[in-house]
Amino acid sequence: MVQLTLPKNSKMVEGKVWPKPAGATKLKEFRIYRWDPEDASNPRIDTYFVDMDDCGPMVLDGLIWIKNKVDPTLAFRRSCREGICGSCSMNIDGMNTLACTKGMDEVKGAVKIYPLPHMAVIKDLVPDLTTFYAQHRSIEPWLHTSTPAPETEWKQSREDREKLDGLYECILCACCTTSCPSYWWNGDRYLGPATLLQAYRWLIDSRDEATGERLDNLEDPFRLYRCHTIMNCAQTCPKGLNPAKAIAEIKKMMVERRF
Amino acid sequence: MAETSKTGTPSSFTVGGRAYTFTDHTFDVVVVGAGGAGLRAVVGASEAGLKTACITKVFPTRSHTVAAQGGISAALGNMGEDDWRWHMYDTVKGSDWLGDQDAIEYLCKNAPAAVYELEHWGVPFSRTEAGKIYQRPFGGMTTNYGEGRAQRTCAAADRTGHAILHTLYGQSLRYSAEFFIEYFAIDLIMEDGVCRGVVALSMDDGTLHRFRAHKTVLATGGYGRAYFSCTSAHTCTGDGNAMVLRAGLPLQDMEFVQFHPTGIYGAGCLITEGSRGEGGYLTNSEGERFMERYAPSAKDLASRDVVSRAMTMEIREGRGVGKAKDHIYLHLDHLDPKILAERLPGISESAKIFAGVDVTREPIPVLPTVHYNMGGIPTNYYGEVLTKVNGDPDHVVPGLMAIGEAACVSVHGANRLGSNSLIDLVVFGRAAGARCAETIERGARQADLPKDAGLSSLDRLDRFRHASGSTPTAELRLDMQRTMQNNCAVFRTGEVLEEGHTLIHKVWSGTDDIRVTDRSLIWNTDLVEALEYDNLIVQAVVTMDSAVNRQESRGAHAREDFPDRDDKEWMKHTLAFVDTNSRTVSIDYRPVHTYTMSNEIEYIAPKARVY
Amino acid sequence: MPRFSNMRTPLAKVRGLGSAHEGTEHFWRQRLTAVSNLFLTTFFVGVLLSLQAGTYADVIATLSHPVVAILLIGMMISVTLHMRIGMQVIIEDYVHDDGLRVVAIGANTFFAAIIAIASVFALLKIAFGA
Repeated sequence: MVQLTLPKNSKMVEGKVWPKPAGATKLKEFRIYRWDPEDASNPRIDTYFVDMDDCGPMVLDGLIWIKNKVDPTLAFRRSCREGICGSCSMNIDGMNTLACTKGMDEVKGAVKIYPLPHMAVIKDLVPDLTTFYAQHRSIEPWLHTSTPAPETEWKQSREDREKLDGLYECILCACCTTSCPSYWWNGDRYLGPATLLQAYRWLIDSRDEATGERLDNLEDPFRLYRCHTIMNCAQTCPKGLNPAKAIAEIKKMMVERRF
Repeated sequence: MAETSKTGTPSSFTVGGRAYTFTDHTFDVVVVGAGGAGLRAVVGASEAGLKTACITKVFPTRSHTVAAQGGISAALGNMGEDDWRWHMYDTVKGSDWLGDQDAIEYLCKNAPAAVYELEHWGVPFSRTEAGKIYQRPFGGMTTNYGEGRAQRTCAAADRTGHAILHTLYGQSLRYSAEFFIEYFAIDLIMEDGVCRGVVALSMDDGTLHRFRAHKTVLATGGYGRAYFSCTSAHTCTGDGNAMVLRAGLPLQDMEFVQFHPTGIYGAGCLITEGSRGEGGYLTNSEGERFMERYAPSAKDLASRDVVSRAMTMEIREGRGVGKAKDHIYLHLDHLDPKILAERLPGISESAKIFAGVDVTREPIPVLPTVHYNMGGIPTNYYGEVLTKVNGDPDHVVPGLMAIGEAACVSVHGANRLGSNSLIDLVVFGRAAGARCAETIERGARQADLPKDAGLSSLDRLDRFRHASGSTPTAELRLDMQRTMQNNCAVFRTGEVLEEGHTLIHKVWSGTDDIRVTDRSLIWNTDLVEALEYDNLIVQAVVTMDSAVNRQESRGAHAREDFPDRDDKEWMKHTLAFVDTNSRTVSIDYRPVHTYTMSNEIEYIAPKARVY
Repeated sequence: MPRFSNMRTPLAKVRGLGSAHEGTEHFWRQRLTAVSNLFLTTFFVGVLLSLQAGTYADVIATLSHPVVAILLIGMMISVTLHMRIGMQVIIEDYVHDDGLRVVAIGANTFFAAIIAIASVFALLKIAFGA
C-alpha cells in the first residue's frame, strides 16, 4: 500500500545553525535540507543567514552566497541562472520552482528549501532524475516521418506552428512531475505531466507522421490515465505552461479516434 | 597498482596516500560536452555506426546552447533574395578579416543544409505565411556584399537555442550513443603528441573513469565565467580549453572576447540582438538614438563590437542612464505588443523578472556584457585540432578534435556576428561527425594506454580535493573575475593591460593557497568548482597576455593606444601556450588563411570596416 | 515497490510490459455513466420524495410502473458500473502490490456485479408483481 510516513532513516532532524555574517544589517534566514550520502546520519535542516546587501535578489543568488561565503559543502544544481536550463528546480517555500527566477522577497519569513519532492536524493538539494529522463526518452521525442524529407523545410502553416506554443517551451525541470501526487504514488508507471506535455508536443506537430503510433504507446491505464486533473502541475510550472491541459488534449485525441 | 584493466593499463593508483581506481571504457569516439556542437557530433558519429560516448557535466538540455535566443543564420532566402556568398562576405567583414576564409566558406555554404536538417528533425521554427522558416534581420547581416539589409537569421521565436538543443537531444536518443551524464572531464590522456582519450569523474557516485577512443572531440564551450559580468551560465568554464593548455597545446586568438551590447544591467542576463532585429533601438540619457552617429547605415544593427564600443563611449562621456549614469536603455515599447508576444516572448519575460520592466511600456536597462569567446582551440574545418610544430602552423594533433565555442576554426576571427554561433555549432558538429566516420575504422583495436594514463589527473584531483590553504575557491574566482572585468574589457590600453597582466598572474600564483572544504567524492561541487576555477584561471591569464601582446585594434580587441587595424604586422592568429609548472605563457603565431576553399568565391581582400 | 530489478536499464523499467492499449474505454465509460448518473439519480431522488408520505402499496405500485422500473434498473446498472470503475482507479492508485491489486480489482468487480444483479433482481421482482 501507499506509504504515508517517511521511513526511519529519512526522518529529518534539526541541523546546524550557521553564524550570522558579521556586521550585516539586512538578514534573510534560509532553512535548507541537507543530506550527505557518505555518512550514515539522517537528513537535517541547516539554518543560514544571508546578508541581503551583499547578495543578488533571487533565491539562487542566496544559495550561491551561502556556498561562497559560509558553507562550500552545500550541493545543488545550477547553470544558466535565467530560467531556461532547468537545473535549479527545487522546492522553495512549499512550491516546486526554479531558484534562479524566484525572488527572495517573494518568500515571507525564512526561505525553506527542499529537494524536489518524492525523488531519491543524491546529496542535499540534488535529486536523482534518471527515471524522469527515461520516461521522457520513452515517448521518442523526435520528429517521426516516413515521407522522404523535402530538399528544403517541411512546410508548416503559422496556425499549425502556433499549436506548439505553450508546449515546446518546456525546460524539463521536473517541477510539475514531482509536484503531482499521482506521480508520487505511481511514478514507476505513470509518465507524469512533463513527459505527457512533451508527448503532446509531438502529437500535435503537423509535420509528424506517427500520431497513431504515439497514441497507441500512451493508451494505458498507468502511462496516461493516472492523471486525475489534480492540477498541481499547471500551478507549479515556473514557465507558466499547462501540462494538465496538454494531458486533457491527449485524452480527447484518444476518444476522438474511436468515433 | 594491482589490477590491469581491459585497456592493458594498471587501473589502480595510490596518490597522496589514497587509493583511486579507474573504470575503463573503450569507444570509437568520445565527445566531451553535450551542447549544440557536441550533440550534433554525437548524432553524426553514432548514425555512422561508430561506438560513441558523450561525456557531459550537466544533463544535455542544460547546456548553455539552450540560452541562445535570436536565431541561426543561413542564407535560405525565405524572406527575400539571399546568397551564401553574401553571408560569407558579412562574416569575413564581421571577423575584421581575422577569420580563415576557407573555413568561413565551408560554414556559409553548408549552413542552409544544416538548418534544413534541424528542421527535419523537428525544430519548431517560427513560420512565414508561406509556411517556410521565418528569418529575421540581425547585426552585420547584409545583402549584395554590404548593400541592403538581409533577413537571414532563422528563428524559433526568441528561444531558438532551446528549440535546437532539445531537438538535438531527442535526435541523439535515436541512435545508440552512450551518455555519461554529470561526468566531469578532468584531463586528456596524451601519448607522444597523440590524444588517446580522456579522464572523467562521475559526480553521481564519485567514481573515476578513463575513456579510450580513436577520436576525442572537445565540445566544451566558452569560458565566459572568467569575467565578473557575463551572459554565460555558471557552467561556462571552458574546461576543454584548459585541458588543451595543460596538454601543452596552444589556444588561439584568446584576446578576442565578445561583449554583447544588451545584457540586462545588474543581472547580466541576455536580451537577444533579435530585439533590435525586430525594430528595437538604444538611447542615451538625452533620449538620443546614438547609434545613428556611430553607424550611419546599419545603426542599431551594426556588428556587436561596434555597438558595445558606442555604448561604452556614451556612458564614458556622461550620457549613460540611471542613477549612476552607467547604463543604456533598449526600447521595445514602440513595437506592437502582438509582435512582442509572438516573436520576443522569452526576453519580455526575462526583462520582467530580472529588471522589473514591462517591455510594452518601459525601456530595458542594458550594458555590454561578456558573451562569447571568439578564441579557442585551433582547428581546421574538419574539426581537427591544430598546433604549430617545427614551423608547421597546421600540424594536426592526432586523435583530438574540437568544435563549437571551444574551437577557433576560425570562422569568427576578431568578432562574431550574431546568429553565426548556432550555425557554427551545427555545421562543424556535423563536419566532425563526418570526419570521424571517414577516418575511423569501426571497432578497430586500440593500442594499450600508457602505463601512467590518468595518473597526472589523479594528482590534480587529489591535490584539489585535499587542498587546505587559506583562500576559498570563491575568493580566488572573484579576484580573477574582477581583474578580467576591470583590465580586459571593451576598451583596452597597454597600461591597463600590463596592470591586468600583473594582477592576473598574482591570482594565478595564489592558487597554491586554495582551500577546498568538502573532502567527499559524491556530488562534491566544492571540488568541481575548484577544478573549474583552475580551468578558468589559465584561460584568463592567456586572454590577458594575448591582449597585452596584440598591439592593434581589430574586432572585439580595441586598443586605445593602437586605435587602428594593422594588417601588415597583425594579420595573424595569436597562439598562446602555457607552462603550468612554471606558470608562464609563451606566444607564437599562425598565419590567417588568405584563400578560400573552392573557386566558387574569391578571397575577400581586407578593407576599412564601416557599418 | 519497484516492479523490476535494479539491474535493468532505466528505459527498460519505464517501458515495462509495454502499453496495455486500454484505458480509453474506461475513461469514456466513466464520463458516460457520470452523465447518466446525474439524470437517473435525480429521477430516483424525485421518486423517493414523492413517496415520502406513501404506503407500502403506493411504493409497490410506483415501482411496478414500467417507466419507473426501467429507469431505476438503468440507474442501478449505471451507478454500479460507475462505482466499479471509480473504485478500480482508487485501487490502481493506492495498492502497489501487483498480486494484491489484481485480487482487489477482481473483488471490486464481483462486489459491483453482486450489487447490480441483486438490485436489478429486486426491481424486476417488484415490477412483475411477485
